[in-house]
Amino acid sequence: MLKYTLRRLLGMIPMLFLISIVVFSLAKLMPGDSLSGEIDPNNTDPAYIEEMREKLGYNDPIHEQYFNWITKFVQGDFGKSTRYKIPASDIILEKLPNTIYLGATSLLITYILALIMGIYSGRKPYTIGDNLIAGANYLGLALPSFIAGVFAIYFFSFNLGWFPSNGSVDIQVEDGTFAYYLSRLHHVFLPAVVLGLLSTASYTQFLRNDIIENSRKDFVRTARAKGTPESTIYNKHILRNSIIPLITFLGFDIVNIVGGAIITETIFTYPGIGQLFLNSLSQQDYPVLMALTMMFSFLTLFGNLVADILYGFVDPRIRLD
Amino acid sequence: MKKSYAWLLALMLVLSAFLAACSGNEKANSKDDEKDDETPVEETGPVDGGTLTYALSSEFKGLLNWNFYDADGDDDIIAFFDDGLISYDENLKAEPNIASWTTDDNQNFTFTFEKGVKWHNGEELTVNDWVFALETIATIGGEHQRWSNVNTIEGAVAFNEGKADKISGLEVVDDYTLKVKFDKARVNNLENLWSYPLSQKEFAGIDPKVMAESPQVRTNPVGTGPYKVNKIIPGESVELVRNEDYWKGKPHIEKIIVKVIASELTTGELKNGSLDMTPFHPTILPEVEALDNVVVERYPGLSYYYVGFKLGKYDGSKNVMDKPKYSDKKLRQAMLYAIDRQAWGEAFFSGLAKPLNRPVPTSHWIAAPNEDMPNQYTYDPEKAKSLLDEAGYVDVDGDGFREDPAGKEFVVKFSHYDTGNPTFEARAKAFTQYWEEVGLKSTLQMTDVNLYYDQIEKDDPALEVFYGGWGTGADPDPLPTWGIDTVWNYPRWVSEEGQQLLEDAVDLSVVGTDTDKRKDLYAQWQAIFNEEVPALPILELEEVMAVSKRVKGVTFDVSGPNDPHEWWIQE
Repeated sequence: MLKYTLRRLLGMIPMLFLISIVVFSLAKLMPGDSLSGEIDPNNTDPAYIEEMREKLGYNDPIHEQYFNWITKFVQGDFGKSTRYKIPASDIILEKLPNTIYLGATSLLITYILALIMGIYSGRKPYTIGDNLIAGANYLGLALPSFIAGVFAIYFFSFNLGWFPSNGSVDIQVEDGTFAYYLSRLHHVFLPAVVLGLLSTASYTQFLRNDIIENSRKDFVRTARAKGTPESTIYNKHILRNSIIPLITFLGFDIVNIVGGAIITETIFTYPGIGQLFLNSLSQQDYPVLMALTMMFSFLTLFGNLVADILYGFVDPRIRLD
Repeated sequence: MKKSYAWLLALMLVLSAFLAACSGNEKANSKDDEKDDETPVEETGPVDGGTLTYALSSEFKGLLNWNFYDADGDDDIIAFFDDGLISYDENLKAEPNIASWTTDDNQNFTFTFEKGVKWHNGEELTVNDWVFALETIATIGGEHQRWSNVNTIEGAVAFNEGKADKISGLEVVDDYTLKVKFDKARVNNLENLWSYPLSQKEFAGIDPKVMAESPQVRTNPVGTGPYKVNKIIPGESVELVRNEDYWKGKPHIEKIIVKVIASELTTGELKNGSLDMTPFHPTILPEVEALDNVVVERYPGLSYYYVGFKLGKYDGSKNVMDKPKYSDKKLRQAMLYAIDRQAWGEAFFSGLAKPLNRPVPTSHWIAAPNEDMPNQYTYDPEKAKSLLDEAGYVDVDGDGFREDPAGKEFVVKFSHYDTGNPTFEARAKAFTQYWEEVGLKSTLQMTDVNLYYDQIEKDDPALEVFYGGWGTGADPDPLPTWGIDTVWNYPRWVSEEGQQLLEDAVDLSVVGTDTDKRKDLYAQWQAIFNEEVPALPILELEEVMAVSKRVKGVTFDVSGPNDPHEWWIQE
């Protein structure tokens, strides 16, 4: 297993390297640069724009720019954000905790909801309750998160007033108090639900189908024949077997959350790296853009690796070495 | 059979859940309305206390100091907690704020500071803080956005190059008096001069090059303004509390919260009352105006929009007119007569736009009255047609569209930038339809906004007729946008006569300090522009701000809202 993991990790290096070339070239091929939006004839001197272009190396050939960037990047210097005027790593670290918090909450909500609904549906398939849950799930699968987000804000923030529509915390509460953590939870709840909508739906259906399938297996019939109570059969014998395959989804969840956060954070004006990524893209803030893209690529590769390793754990028949 | 029935039921339940949510909404609304009616608004005079929530639609970058900011958003926040030395009146003429000045020759200025103005850290503001700001910018030099506002001071360049250890043009007489000598006399030396001090005590010992990264700028800024920064959540919100010792008087409102919200949420937040004040995009004006707890304040803007023709190229140092396609003045005039600017502005700018006949917004003191312009360009398709006939653009092959004077096919290639805003394509399409109505075949090309400006700047042949706009600042000088040697003269229009007028208007030996004389020269230039129309002036835009009805004492002029210490909240 260790050997396999190491081999996979080493395999990521050339992959990331190729990704970096493609992303860097694409970013640079975009028309304009980080200075093109700043032109205001009465306030900006053309000499300033020229000087900054020269200083930032935008006038060098693209392969030289790439080489300069990658040399510094592997040494841990991600460059200085052209928009924020501070190192790209600082600005990412400032936003990262918000995204992790959002992702973790979203996962938690997903698991709780999926377990409750999945177990219920699996135990009582083809009843009205099961069909209702299935209906809700198909809605969840069909609704893209940007639609779900807008509707969630419309109903729960504007009409019912239950949740705030933006931000990560109320600035007026004092840091570190109970009210502060409550406020953060209050702010993260709606985006977290929207972010987890898709995975909640697929988890629920997956769990339901697995429970139904398991309930027809021989070991369940044996347990029933022995006179084991129905609740023990479902909660112990079947559930244990059905939950195991779900664990392997964790790897893909990492990928989904990061990807989904880009949209969800923007809709809810939630200051995380997803929002930062979109802003950097539109303002062509290359250092931040590149650092984030590399991070996302790494997480995707890493998430896949985690999924593969978990398969091996869960199902010993799969040999990884 | 049973199964499909269950499905139907499920669907109905889902639908009814939605409906319940909808009707709940109506109830909540009517309740709000009643509440509004019950509390009649009484004018009681300023009341102390309360919290005002102000929203920005794009994330602020956190460069919270006049000397280092460079983007929208940050300046809105800084304006709450820091003052400029000079302010601008409703005609955009400089007027004393903290500093007043005297000059005899427009080269030597003597500035006098108000006494007793204090930074939020308790230090008194003196002219040394201003000198410190100017020296900081001069140390950074060309890499600082504001270098061009400092390098006109005598000795600033030598200081930047390290040849002098202080700027020779700055002479501190005492703590409240500073003499500034410029390298030469200009009419706009004062307007151009950088007039924001930097607290010497806060920034002592920090290398100017890394000041923008310092906590004094990003998380713990100080100013001299009516509010103090209490807490910042980067990129999200800022909490400001009132400055009890503000030199113009104690502010009424106790707290101001500035937060960033996505522009899509503006209407909903205003309706909820969780937002008191915010600028917004003209396209949502009807929705905002429909809210009964909000007043929409309009004030004159400084931006105007035009349709430009590529008449030539920029050769690296000056503009050259060498593209013949649109060189006929009558063709350009006809294209302007063909457009119903009034109707177009109402349709796409919610009525916030006014047609204009010269490339200067009305609020600038140099603006000549629209009526004085030689041509009014009111919508007149017949006139457009006869102008085209005169110029030789007639339909020779009978396809319903005009050919050029040589009898070749003539197509107006119109380009507009694309930002994803769905109204842009419609408004651009409207122009091509206006032109087709007078017989000019037109095509529309929507180009991604970044590529668009790249093409405009580099005179890409793909671009022939383009839509553009300028937001102008306090200095009214049109030279940076319409001069011969500037890259921002996008149509590449060259007019010797016009250039001479513009140069004369800023030439002290011609106009002296007589603003009427300057204004007259600018009016002549505007008349030439109006006749030549190298770019068709389309309209100027009013600025809008949504202000909750509970906020009182807010007034607006062209330079924005009045000082926030005069605002108050009526609960």
